[in-house]
Amino acid sequence: MYGGGNTFEATKFDNLAKEDPIKLDEFEARIAGGEKIEPADWMPVLYRKQLIRMIEQHAHSEIIGALPEGTWITRAPGFKRKLALMAKVQDEVGHAQLLYSAAETLGKSREDMMQDLINGRSKYSNIFNYPALTWADSTIISWLVDAGAIVNQLANSKGSYGPYCRALERICVEESFHLKYGHHAVIHLATGSKIQRQMVQEALNRWWPPMMHFFGPPDRISVHTEVLMKWKVKMATNDECRQQFLDMYVPKIWELRLSVPDPNLQKNEETRQWEYTEPDWEEFKRVINGDGPCNKERLAVRRMAEERGRWVRKALLTPDAKYVTPLA
Amino acid sequence: MDKVINKIALKELLYKTADDLLILGHRNSEWTGIGPLLEEDIAFSSMAQDKIGQSLAIYELLHDLGEADPDTVAFMRNAEQFHNCKFVELPIGEYEFSLVRHFLYDHSILLRFQQLSTSSCQPLAQIARKLVGELRYHIMHADLFIKKLGTGTDESISRLQTTLEQAIPFALGVFERSPQESDLISDLIFTGEDDLYTRWCHEITKVIESTALVLPQHNLSEAKTGGRIGQHTPHLQPLLDEMAEVLRLDPSTDW
Amino acid sequence: MALDSLDPRIKRCNLQEQRTKDFNSQPLDQLPTYEVFIQLKETKAFEHAGIVHAATPDMAFLFAKEQFSRRYTCTGMWVVPSDRVWVTAFSDLEENIYDQIDEMPAQEAGPEEDYEVFHLIQRGKQHQHVGRVTANSHLQALQKAKVRFNAGKPILNVWLIKINDLQTTNLEDHVIWSTLHEKTHRDVISYRAGDKLKQFKEKQQPDG
Ligand SMILES: [Fe+2]
Ligand SMILES: [Fe+2]
Ligand SMILES: [Fe+2]
Repeated sequence: MYGGGNTFEATKFDNLAKEDPIKLDEFEARIAGGEKIEPADWMPVLYRKQLIRMIEQHAHSEIIGALPEGTWITRAPGFKRKLALMAKVQDEVGHAQLLYSAAETLGKSREDMMQDLINGRSKYSNIFNYPALTWADSTIISWLVDAGAIVNQLANSKGSYGPYCRALERICVEESFHLKYGHHAVIHLATGSKIQRQMVQEALNRWWPPMMHFFGPPDRISVHTEVLMKWKVKMATNDECRQQFLDMYVPKIWELRLSVPDPNLQKNEETRQWEYTEPDWEEFKRVINGDGPCNKERLAVRRMAEERGRWVRKALLTPDAKYVTPLA
Repeated sequence: MDKVINKIALKELLYKTADDLLILGHRNSEWTGIGPLLEEDIAFSSMAQDKIGQSLAIYELLHDLGEADPDTVAFMRNAEQFHNCKFVELPIGEYEFSLVRHFLYDHSILLRFQQLSTSSCQPLAQIARKLVGELRYHIMHADLFIKKLGTGTDESISRLQTTLEQAIPFALGVFERSPQESDLISDLIFTGEDDLYTRWCHEITKVIESTALVLPQHNLSEAKTGGRIGQHTPHLQPLLDEMAEVLRLDPSTDW
Repeated sequence: MALDSLDPRIKRCNLQEQRTKDFNSQPLDQLPTYEVFIQLKETKAFEHAGIVHAATPDMAFLFAKEQFSRRYTCTGMWVVPSDRVWVTAFSDLEENIYDQIDEMPAQEAGPEEDYEVFHLIQRGKQHQHVGRVTANSHLQALQKAKVRFNAGKPILNVWLIKINDLQTTNLEDHVIWSTLHEKTHRDVISYRAGDKLKQFKEKQQPDG
């Protein structure tokens, strides 16, 4: 994603008691053998349900994620930044389109998903409930939030569901542009004038705590997802993703002589693990449940877009064209 | 360009074309992430990017002719130094307004570039020839949406009709003549706004006639002019301020 | 109360914070989907790329162009309504779907038509175009495809599309991709900042 920290429902094995044991064996053998599941294949009800839930959340994160950065398109400084940011935010909308499509192959229509998003029945990545106050915030998002997204997406692209993996492969190619652009923009601020350096340091200070929340609660307090791991729905644990992110990007932040707002952040050379101040998981819960600085606005904007666009979609409908589940 | 031509007139032509594209590109980009349909959001954003890119190509040509660099020219001038028509600076409004503007304006810019592709100003002709390809997509898109929504539901037809009536006087402002246009015509740089206007009427009439819409009676004398000589609506300066907000924090540095 | 957004675009929309009505999109809003195939180079086969939602095939084509060919190169694009693709069963690994077609029930013969044939040879990959056959039914098309295209790796799944159902690119419309290779602002290569970083680090060295 966007959206480490997927929220999964707690799963119990007895949910599986109703499944045909022979088909279930075949299904699990296929996954264990590294093969992909395609939409027409038999799959357990739980697999379908959790996949829809995860892909849908991911798609919502992309379309909501277009908002904080979209704020800065008009104000982006100069042609180069302007064109890059326009293309970057457009890609995020494109990612939403690809992911909704992948979820549609599992039998939930895009309109249903959109409705669940707007009515608050479906989540999106918590990090987009924070505001992008300055230009530097938008560059930090493009660099670090997208970096976090890539960690997740690369892991998930090795999952078991064919259409989701294909969407992610396409997405990852575009994300590498986002990451490069974001890093380029941050480098220019960090090596630039005093005003610029201050701007980017302040933005980093603001985005660090949500970034630590990004991958979700630590494994020891997370919902158990063993069966989802076995089915290759969830591909890496929250802590694994967080460690990988820190490993790849903290050195890059430090080389720009920017400071990370956590005095305890350091790599323990013995355990090869990063140590850090435990993020405030109460705040995480509060924000994910609707009480963040921008939750209301994000959903209100999405709702406005849907409502203002309704007459267009209605006028485009042709009575003989019918919606069927897309193929792949 | 070996022979002595009226450079001021040429620059004026370049400025107004580039300014139109820059401003409209910015306006259209405001739809990114809030369009009526995800696919349309993506298509509209691409076309906005194309427009900004097209303006950049022309500002680069102006730079070659001795003007300041593109970033300075595009983001450091005030409203009265802009030569865009008033049409492009109006807020995006509801989707029907942005769509009708896209339809009316893009037909004019495609014709302009088609005309300029045989201009005696070689570098300009080269840019124009290259851009007609991507503009063809813009026109395919605009025509299809006008046709679909212009024959869709009662609501879509009436929305488009109302907006068309409001937009036409502004659209006519695209063809505001420049003071030294006769020099451009005699130098074979550009065949002139009147010629463009005649062709444009023909093109948009063809499309409108295939819908339930009625093209309002129009006459160049009702055109909302003034944009080409730096007289603008109150909407332009705030937009320019926004576009330059970050750059102005420190114009001397590399962002 | 109007939402006080940091986003100037949103501010101009004068958005209200509270709405009492529950948001409800009518089922009518859902447009049909189209399957999209693209060709990256003239020498390459058309390959399935994904889907778009659209009202008509020509709209699907316009949407697909920006969703699936905004980068690199593209020499052609096909779109087809999702419900106009005829799909065989999915074969298991190592088993060829063509080996199972004798068991399929006979279909009523219609007029002769051209069909485009697509193969899937690996789960997780995209369906690829392999060629065209003329036949009087989908089943006959499949039989003919078996004779002509069944070579090499086992085929896991076959798609058949009548060419009359495919929206293809006109040659004169290919110019819409003519400036694609110049859209470098969408590419990684435009954002190299290694030199700037190196300079910065060298300047920092003495006190660092
Ligand atoms: Fe994304
Ligand atoms: Fe992002
Ligand atoms: Fe991204």
